[in-house]
Amino acid sequence: MSSSDTQITAAPAERRLTIAKAMSEAIGQEMERDPSIIVLGEDIGKMGGVFGTTTGLHDQFGRDRVKDTPISETAFIGAAVGMAASGMRPIVELMFVDFFGVCMDAIYNLAAKQSYFSGGKVSCPMVLMTSVGGGYGDAGQHSQCLYATFGHLPGMKVVMPSNAHDAKGLMLSAIRDDNPVIFMFHKALQGMGWLGTIAGSITDTPDDDYVVPIGKANIVRQGSDVSIVGLGATVHHGLEAANKLAEAGIEAEVIDLRTIAPLDRQTIIQSVSKTGRLLVVDDDYLSFGIGAEVITSVCESGAAPLKCPPQRIAHPDIPIPFSPVLEHFILPDAKKIEQAVLSMMKAEK
Amino acid sequence: MSSNQNKRLWMYANMVKSRHFEDLIKPAYFEGKSPVFNMAKGPIPGEMHLSDGQEPCAVGVCAHLREDDIVTATHRPHHIAIAKGVDLNGMTAEIFGKKDGLAGGRGGHMHLFDPAVNFSCSGIIAQGLGPAVGAAMAAKLSGSDAVAVAFLGEGAANQGAFHEALNLASVWKAPVVFVIEDNSYGISVSKSDCTAVESNAARAAAYDMPGHHVAGNDPDAISEIAGEAVAYARSGQGPSLIEIETSRLEGHFMGDPEGYRPDGEVERLKELDPIPKYRARLLADGFEEADLESAEQDARNQVDQAFSFARENQYPEPEEVYDHVFV
Amino acid sequence: MTEIRVPEGQWETDQEAALATWLYADGEAVSTGVTVCEIMVEKTSFEVPAPAGGVLAIAIAEDDVVVPGQIIGTIT
Repeated sequence: MSSSDTQITAAPAERRLTIAKAMSEAIGQEMERDPSIIVLGEDIGKMGGVFGTTTGLHDQFGRDRVKDTPISETAFIGAAVGMAASGMRPIVELMFVDFFGVCMDAIYNLAAKQSYFSGGKVSCPMVLMTSVGGGYGDAGQHSQCLYATFGHLPGMKVVMPSNAHDAKGLMLSAIRDDNPVIFMFHKALQGMGWLGTIAGSITDTPDDDYVVPIGKANIVRQGSDVSIVGLGATVHHGLEAANKLAEAGIEAEVIDLRTIAPLDRQTIIQSVSKTGRLLVVDDDYLSFGIGAEVITSVCESGAAPLKCPPQRIAHPDIPIPFSPVLEHFILPDAKKIEQAVLSMMKAEK
Repeated sequence: MSSNQNKRLWMYANMVKSRHFEDLIKPAYFEGKSPVFNMAKGPIPGEMHLSDGQEPCAVGVCAHLREDDIVTATHRPHHIAIAKGVDLNGMTAEIFGKKDGLAGGRGGHMHLFDPAVNFSCSGIIAQGLGPAVGAAMAAKLSGSDAVAVAFLGEGAANQGAFHEALNLASVWKAPVVFVIEDNSYGISVSKSDCTAVESNAARAAAYDMPGHHVAGNDPDAISEIAGEAVAYARSGQGPSLIEIETSRLEGHFMGDPEGYRPDGEVERLKELDPIPKYRARLLADGFEEADLESAEQDARNQVDQAFSFARENQYPEPEEVYDHVFV
Repeated sequence: MTEIRVPEGQWETDQEAALATWLYADGEAVSTGVTVCEIMVEKTSFEVPAPAGGVLAIAIAEDDVVVPGQIIGTIT
């Protein structure tokens, strides 16, 4: 390529970030704007978060606004609820969603019900960040997703970005929301060198202020034959499968939920109305899960006559195993999606 | 040799065994993770929490335990498992995710269960304490004089579960010993930044039980106090708490950049490595060089053999993943 | 054309460094100062900024070992 060609064809480049960098940038920018924000959690200070979510914030804002906590989740997440009731906007990290059991009361009985029990008079503007997902051999107490668990409980919003652009925009939305928002981030997408990173999660990310609205799914690939609904890592598996399926003449539409609760049913129903086929893919446990909710929503709407029974791919109803031969056997991936779509295309209603 | 000499040699040999175990884990863990460190790769994926430096806690306490005594350990379990006599082949194979691992590869290094010696551990902070109280009560109610020991890190002493379990054990006069391995750090956060009291041993008073503090990361000193606490529990007098000052010579997990450590800290701690220190003391106390060498050789051979077993062992069949969700 | 080099003096010379991640694909446009790739040295990541704006040509693949000063790509 000659240099004159490149000067003409090269579009103005944007910055490309990992989700980790996008999250910490969003938090830092919003902290500059809003003095009521405080960041709490384990190892979020000097270490910058085990998953890089608060990189640089301790140096920039000091230990009064970026506070390492004891391993006392019931206390510090309860404290965040109290701060939120008292005019602050706490952002709290609990590094693995698997660890939420110890402090669930503060989350689902306090934070999630503060508005309702006060007749809407007391808000709870807090963000609770946590990592989800496995695939790297960390076994059943450090690899769960629990999307449906949190999506099921009323009074909380639950978001999960599949890429850095959405991570920043969703984080800014989450911080500004007057309700508790669980901000999940997937380890396979986070951009920590030591975890490996699915390349598609590293995206152009504006350095200025923008929001990705909570409650809006995103169609990341247009298609006419089947709607593949995913979130986080499974969006990327869905895209990979869609590219393979395109070689066989099958055009898949891929939907990134971006928000678990409230679920953007309308976007899904519109898509399935067009394609007539629905496959939901997530890496949480199968039963009573995201797939069940999405499929039911489509069926209940009656708006989308289906050409074949809807399908779901998820982690089976077993704890997440350690051994890589066991874990990779059961985790959703592009191959499983491709095969599911191929059999759906053959199936008659 | 006197029984005390036997015990000291046993403690030394088990520290050597534990350290050699971690020394073989390190290169195995880094296989496939170089030049780019990616936790998902290699024969041992996932997090790996090594116990280098904390061996005295395990041997000093387990020197007083019988097979029917119960131990619950933490996410950093290898030294305790070895001192409790967990099947070395099964444990190593489990860490490699193999078929004949303790759980057929389902649990990995943080989730080791060996009911033959009443050992278990988990990756959830402070959650071994309740089960230890329960196991201790099961022994007591069945008329046995077995005791339970719950190991925890100093960070876990700030969990509600710690305070609840101590209170419950005291109310029930459960035959249990709570052992805090105080390595100064909960991942990156130092004890002084997150703990209201200087010594967690002081917290025992709140639950009306003896609280002991052991400095120096010294197997003999730990053993002396642990012997008292285990005898106290075994004789029906109830629970006690031991806080041991120890040191973590590696990161929280392998791959931890450890940027939170002050410069030179690891080097300084390594100079205080408890194993060569203890070896020198045993020699000064009249142990024969040949006896130590023979104990070292034997310990290393057992570990080498377990690693060979684990390496040669097959992986489970993928379909086995569905087994054992229920008994 | 501007060369992209592995930074010097940021880690000990006896430490092995490797190219962990390219944030841009070969042939993509980049602006001055954006992070183009990350280099991992043992357990720590170092960011490499684009020394100029233009089109990236990648010379060294991910997972390859690199040394300080080495040319890993160019920007044209």
